[in-house]
Amino acid sequence: MNFLKKLVPQVALAEAQLLSRSSIHTSAVCCRVQSGRYRITTKRNRPLTYEMANPPHFIGHRKSWNSWNTSTLEDGLRPSQTAIEDVFIRKFMTGTWHALVCSEVIIKRQHNTIRIAALIRQAITPRKMYFLIGYTEELLSYWMQCPVTLELQTVGDKNDVIFKYI
Amino acid sequence: MLQALKSLRWAQPLRALSTSTAGTQPIVSPKTPAPEPDKLYSKLEIELRGIDPAVLKSYTWFATTAADHLGIEKGKCWSPRKAHHERMTLLKSVHIYKKHRVQYEVRTHFRYMNFHKLTGSTLDTFLEYIERNLPEGVALQASKTELQQIPEHLRQPPEQV
Repeated sequence: MNFLKKLVPQVALAEAQLLSRSSIHTSAVCCRVQSGRYRITTKRNRPLTYEMANPPHFIGHRKSWNSWNTSTLEDGLRPSQTAIEDVFIRKFMTGTWHALVCSEVIIKRQHNTIRIAALIRQAITPRKMYFLIGYTEELLSYWMQCPVTLELQTVGDKNDVIFKYI
Repeated sequence: MLQALKSLRWAQPLRALSTSTAGTQPIVSPKTPAPEPDKLYSKLEIELRGIDPAVLKSYTWFATTAADHLGIEKGKCWSPRKAHHERMTLLKSVHIYKKHRVQYEVRTHFRYMNFHKLTGSTLDTFLEYIERNLPEGVALQASKTELQQIPEHLRQPPEQV
């Protein structure tokens, strides 16, 4: 149809008008970066926390790291084992506190100890929460073979952690 | 902590009591080992490696303030302008698409602190205090330079070579 556009300018005008209504840029999946980014919805009602709203290139500038240890430094020891332990701890936390964890789980390693921090929703009684804290600390310290302490902060409403809607 | 250090420095060993009369035997106190003189260190160099330069800066402020309180002479505290970058360029896709790659980078920031003219007990106390309060994601390496007297067998020049 291109040859017709040059001969008859009206065809080109009509095509341009059709194209300008839907302005979506498409490219192959491998050409763009899509890690840690969320697609905008048409209704603009998808909630995002501050961590989710900032893509990974803001780590170190607007964001901070989620797991703090010395394994990734130059001449650091056991980086892969530390990473797998972190994955396990995060899955265990989200599973034990099912639908109660409102933020990312932050894991800090200092000398021999592991400190786990997270925001928890106030949906269960404090008595049950104390039991879950003791249960998690006991089992994790047995599996990791080092002292594990939980530093939890509770949030009344899960809408308090929402930063923006997309 | 300062008073504990003072008591370490000025502690005197027990002296054996002896009586004036010749007949009775002198009372001998239980054998205490002669106190070793404290080691002397000319320089303590601390190398810090970390992920976040802000954490490293705050930790150096903490360590230098602690040194000031203990009366330790502070030397050069500096950090290189650029961090050490470890970069990996990998293929983005599982199969083919050689032209599309993804790059990962791990940065290590360095910071150095020097302290001069320390005694052994001061150095041990200071290092233990620093190490106990080391934040997560920071690695510490300490190198000490000790001053020693020339050994006995090297003090006099040899007769024959």
